[in-house]
Amino acid sequence: MTLRRTFLICSAAALAASALPAVAQDWPERPVRILVSFPPGGSSDLVARLLAEHLGERLGQPFIVENRPGAGGTVAALALKEAAADGHTFMLSNLTPFGIAPTLFPDAGYDPIVDFTHVSYIGGVHLGLFAGAGLEIDTLDALITRAQSEPGMLDYGTSGVGSWGHIVSARFGALTETEMEHIPYQGSGPIRLDLQAGVIGLAFDAVPQNLPLVAEGVAIPLAVSAPERLDTLPDVPTFREAGLDLVAENWLGFSAPVGLDPAIAAKLDETLTDIMTLPEITAQFDTWGIVRVPMDGAAFAAFVADQYSAWAPMVEAAR
Amino acid sequence: MELLGNLALGFAAATTLEMLTVCFVGVLLGTFVGVLPGIGPLAAVAMLLPVSFHLPAEAALILLAGVYYGAEYGGSTASILLNIPGTPSASVTALDGFPMAQKGRAGVALVLTAIASFVGGIVGVIVMALLSPALAGFALQFGPAEYFAVMVLGLVAATVVGGRGIVRGLAMVCLGLLLGTIGVDVNSGATRFTGGIPDLRDGIGLVVVAMGLFGVSEVIASIRGNTRHKVSQPLNWRSLMPNREDWMRVPGPALRGSAVGSFFGTLPGAGQTVASFVGYAVEKRISRNKDQFGHGAVEGVVVPESANNAAAQTAFIPTLTLGIPGSTTMALMLGALMIHGITPGPRLITDHPSLFWGLVASFVIGNLMLLVLNIPLVGLWARILRVPNAMLYPIVAVLICLGVYSLRLNLFDVWLTLGFGLLGYAMRLWRFEPAPLLIGFVLGPMIEEYFRRAMLLSRGDPMVFFERSGSATLLGIAVALLIVAGLQPRKLIQRVFRSP
Repeated sequence: MTLRRTFLICSAAALAASALPAVAQDWPERPVRILVSFPPGGSSDLVARLLAEHLGERLGQPFIVENRPGAGGTVAALALKEAAADGHTFMLSNLTPFGIAPTLFPDAGYDPIVDFTHVSYIGGVHLGLFAGAGLEIDTLDALITRAQSEPGMLDYGTSGVGSWGHIVSARFGALTETEMEHIPYQGSGPIRLDLQAGVIGLAFDAVPQNLPLVAEGVAIPLAVSAPERLDTLPDVPTFREAGLDLVAENWLGFSAPVGLDPAIAAKLDETLTDIMTLPEITAQFDTWGIVRVPMDGAAFAAFVADQYSAWAPMVEAAR
Repeated sequence: MELLGNLALGFAAATTLEMLTVCFVGVLLGTFVGVLPGIGPLAAVAMLLPVSFHLPAEAALILLAGVYYGAEYGGSTASILLNIPGTPSASVTALDGFPMAQKGRAGVALVLTAIASFVGGIVGVIVMALLSPALAGFALQFGPAEYFAVMVLGLVAATVVGGRGIVRGLAMVCLGLLLGTIGVDVNSGATRFTGGIPDLRDGIGLVVVAMGLFGVSEVIASIRGNTRHKVSQPLNWRSLMPNREDWMRVPGPALRGSAVGSFFGTLPGAGQTVASFVGYAVEKRISRNKDQFGHGAVEGVVVPESANNAAAQTAFIPTLTLGIPGSTTMALMLGALMIHGITPGPRLITDHPSLFWGLVASFVIGNLMLLVLNIPLVGLWARILRVPNAMLYPIVAVLICLGVYSLRLNLFDVWLTLGFGLLGYAMRLWRFEPAPLLIGFVLGPMIEEYFRRAMLLSRGDPMVFFERSGSATLLGIAVALLIVAGLQPRKLIQRVFRSP
């Protein structure tokens, strides 16, 4: 970063700040924490770290990523709920702690809607159903036919009991009246290893990290859980096209404790929206397969609430 | 001769001033981070990750990898000087390294550690350079049954390493296995043995157990004044350096350790933990100096260190060629690559030759730097033992608490560490070894996961472990190790029933 660029960014930030009310004008006064509900190294953690760098440059205070993994993200969400709503603690919110865990663990200790201010939408990834090359199945219809003719014989992996893959797989089983054996893993890496090795025949897993396997020809995508076809897999039908009402997005956003000053929320949302249009960021998000539709802060808050109520019955059914 | 061309490319990429600088910064930082109790490579790699965004991909990977294997080097220092290992493999080094320090041979142990690490690292790099393309598919041959068998082998090796008899070792491994069952059950999602404490939902952290059993118990023992008699280390060059007899005992164990480590390192996850234990157990059986093991045998330091460092290098094979990280630290390094738009996979070596071979070359350079860096530091580290206990141990206690707290920012973990310190002290009074407990604890959850996955896939048929040649062979080796270890069933049964 050259001095001139820093100067330009600072003056742009100063100009933008002069139009905002007093409290937001002083924000941020000290370093800002971003709680991340994953251990360091996953793609969501990297999203937070990348955005933290840019936010820090633009807002003049360092944004620090704090990993609080554990208990399906509820550890981080609880920490966020208990933090002061002064604009110095945010969380990289996502589907698991805000859409799944509150239904899965009724004693989670927080309400995903009333206890938080959902500030800004980042984007999301979708789920795919992948078949290992050794299974010799290349369409969703072929799979359903085979699964119906030999119930309980096929094995599929997900990234764990209560993960979104598991919940979607349970819904898939109910919709297609098929029965397959669930092999739970811990995280996505080992699923891909076993799918490649032919230990399991199928996997319900996020699309982006499986794209290299698809390119290698060792995993065959049968369907994706997006509402429309994905740019990264244009030839793969959606579940909806196959007549199955299955849409699942693992979304990412920024959330704060309830009671955050709306001016701070607006400023963060604006800054993030700006950052998200930078070519280097869009290119990075493209390689990670993170899909983003424009959505402002208010729409995002409504989206989180929608998603929560849409997932609740699916989670209940999978339990 | 393709290999030579590739290596030339790698060295050309890794010997620019920028690469040499990041490599040096990485290994230096790694050494210091590794020495501090409780702060492992993970914390350092996580802190450096944003810095790596601004570096080219090759430099980023060389920097982070330097921190990673530099910390493997440094990790042995605290375990030799103070009996405070931060990882299961370092706890094997402590078995003989700490007794050596107590005999006033801390300098010798540290020098041998640096050399054994160097040998292990270089052998690992050679294996990686020669076999990476071929070994890329090796991890794919390993199904759940084989992983289960490898871990059984590791546990058997662990019961054998303890100096105080197999029954005591077995008891400690079992206690470790039981502690490992605390937390969420992978197959049902139900929580087990948490006593309703939410902080235990994800199980107990490895560092909590290691720092408690070894570190805190050492601090408690120092309060009671019953640390075994400490001989102050003379600081002249002669007594810091190994003598002729020591040198003679290095080459064989170092090469055997490196071979064992190189093999296990290629298995994602379990490999690195198992490598030191298996190497130590094998060496203890075949060595002419059996009786000295556990009392400061040179081989007891050389083998685990060479195995551990060889495994640290070959662990990059599955990480880079399959995209399967064996540890959180490895996952972070994959993350750094992803930031630069490089996807690890079978084509990484062909698509990004200068990255892969540059990394290989940087390992050679980094290991040399570590050797040069660590030998002069030996005098400095040995000086730590001259600090009076009344000052040293409170500092150690504070560092342990900070290190444990920094991992999850959770105060509960600190209290738990102190609790394990009391347990470790009790074990010390009744002369139980903590090292087998540690490996039981680490492998317990994995062994269960793979066992149950294999059983799920076979629909409950246990023959799967014997029908597959890989797992059958490994289980055979485990049984053989038990028999060779002198486990005579009749004698054992008599001993169990006679003991009060």
